[in-house]
Amino acid sequence: MKHLRSILLSVVMLPLAGVVAIPFYYILVNTLKTQPEISASPLGLPSGVDFSNYAEVFEALPIWQSFLNTLYVGVVSIFLMLLVGSMAAYGMLIGQGLLTKLIGVICLIAFLVPGQTTLIPLYRMLSGMYLVDTLEGLIFLYMGGAIFCYFLIIGYMRTIPTEMFESARIDGASAFRIYRSIVLPLIRPILVTVGVFQAMWVWNDFITPNVFINSPDKQTLVLQVYSAVGQFSTDWPAFMTLSVIVLAPLVVFFIAAQRHIVSGLVTGSVKG
Amino acid sequence: MGTAIAPPRPAPPFQSPPRPTRLQRLRRRGIESYLFTLPVIVVFVVLFAIPLAQSFYYSLTDFNGYSTEANFVGFENYTTIWQDSSMLSALGFTLIFTIATTLAITALAIPLALVLNQKFFGRNLVRSVFFFPSVVSVAILGLVWGFIFAPLGTGVINSIIGWFGAQPVAWLAEPTLARLSVIIVAVWGGTGWHAVLYLAYLQAIPSEFYEAASIDGATRWQQFRYMTLPLLTPAITVSQLLLLTGGLKVYDLPYTLTGGGPGFATRTLTQSIIENGIAQGEVGKASALSVVFFIAVGLIIVAQLALSRRLEARFS
Repeated sequence: MKHLRSILLSVVMLPLAGVVAIPFYYILVNTLKTQPEISASPLGLPSGVDFSNYAEVFEALPIWQSFLNTLYVGVVSIFLMLLVGSMAAYGMLIGQGLLTKLIGVICLIAFLVPGQTTLIPLYRMLSGMYLVDTLEGLIFLYMGGAIFCYFLIIGYMRTIPTEMFESARIDGASAFRIYRSIVLPLIRPILVTVGVFQAMWVWNDFITPNVFINSPDKQTLVLQVYSAVGQFSTDWPAFMTLSVIVLAPLVVFFIAAQRHIVSGLVTGSVKG
Repeated sequence: MGTAIAPPRPAPPFQSPPRPTRLQRLRRRGIESYLFTLPVIVVFVVLFAIPLAQSFYYSLTDFNGYSTEANFVGFENYTTIWQDSSMLSALGFTLIFTIATTLAITALAIPLALVLNQKFFGRNLVRSVFFFPSVVSVAILGLVWGFIFAPLGTGVINSIIGWFGAQPVAWLAEPTLARLSVIIVAVWGGTGWHAVLYLAYLQAIPSEFYEAASIDGATRWQQFRYMTLPLLTPAITVSQLLLLTGGLKVYDLPYTLTGGGPGFATRTLTQSIIENGIAQGEVGKASALSVVFFIAVGLIIVAQLALSRRLEARFS
């Protein structure tokens, strides 16, 4: 009976998963085809393995440039976000009274305000600082994510016994020293989880680069795919190939960090 | 020396002299904790408080983004946004999208989570496949689906329909179908994510509960209805909150899949705010819209939290 159930579930779920995966199969398989082949049968297997589409796309577009742009923005903004978020969480833990209330209100407001509401003033602010159409401008905007980091980190910190900080304090360690050599190592697991989660956000974000970036040499990967659609509107294989190239790092990331993504999803949703 | 001739007093209780008083310690801790929280306060003020206040301010003016002065116009912008057909259309589609995706994803994600919680061959693969679409950029998925829906040779859906002898359908060119298409893709992309969320809560239910229930003779349906579902209430709350707020904030998917068209059929509020406020310089009007948007999202969050608190109180 139990065996039967399990077989039945496999028989139903595996094909269903296959259907869900069709779009990914579709773009992958079409990167190996020519345009007439796609037209003839969009889901059929290619007649042979031909990577010329890849060579063509790498030649036509500055993919490496966009990759480095995305990487730069991602690494710097995640580092700063985690730094600001974890510092705030530690400060909150050693602080009391008024400060705690203030931070609580800050978090609530930041949580309630949708990015859309602050978009126009932020655009004007950035343009006043000459940060529109710069990667630094993107990093500046992504710093807003520090509050979400703080949320998750403080939740995790509360589960650590405070005696650990207290004893270090009695031993005469300065607050900064405690933060650096005790707090940071202790909260590593949550830093990884939050980092992975925020990295996904920054890497995949479309609205911010779409609004704030104009120059082709400052595009992030996602924005590059978007702007390439116009260029490739009649060259479907090239577009599919570009999508696969941009999605490939995410597949690797997904396999490597799936556990952290899921735990970030769960803690994030509980806190958020 | 005065002390020498003073009458003897009881010795003060032992106290190590350099130790700071309690007040001094509190002050130091206070300063330190302010130093540590300063960066996040700066982030909040610069990226949230100031822009929010400016949005409120602009929404009461006729500021166009270029002129040096802005005239106070009161609530005029708040009335004109209800007369702008593109904005109304955006509001309508955003609401339809939010409600449809919330209902559909919830209806699909809970059964999916229940199934994924069972043991069967290939379970991890199935989990990953369902989850994967929410890991990659929604914008890219929108573009890819644009090709899948296309009436051209790339259109998988139309070629499948073609096998049955039907004419190709212009999925993204007809308003109702375009809306439907956007919603289908959103459901496809979001269900796995929410299923994993539910799954996390399901896995937290001790298996003893189910053993006890089946010993007591509860059927599978009864177990689901009277045990699993109430225990899932917190997950439902969280998932619905994310779906509702995420739905109202939607931008990437319709923008990349249909560009907001045909006409204004799949235009979103966010697209309206961006186009009016940044591209067309109608800062006052767009700000009014963004303030209305902020209030709507806030109200939904508050209502959802209140409702869920009552539900949780009822079930527990």
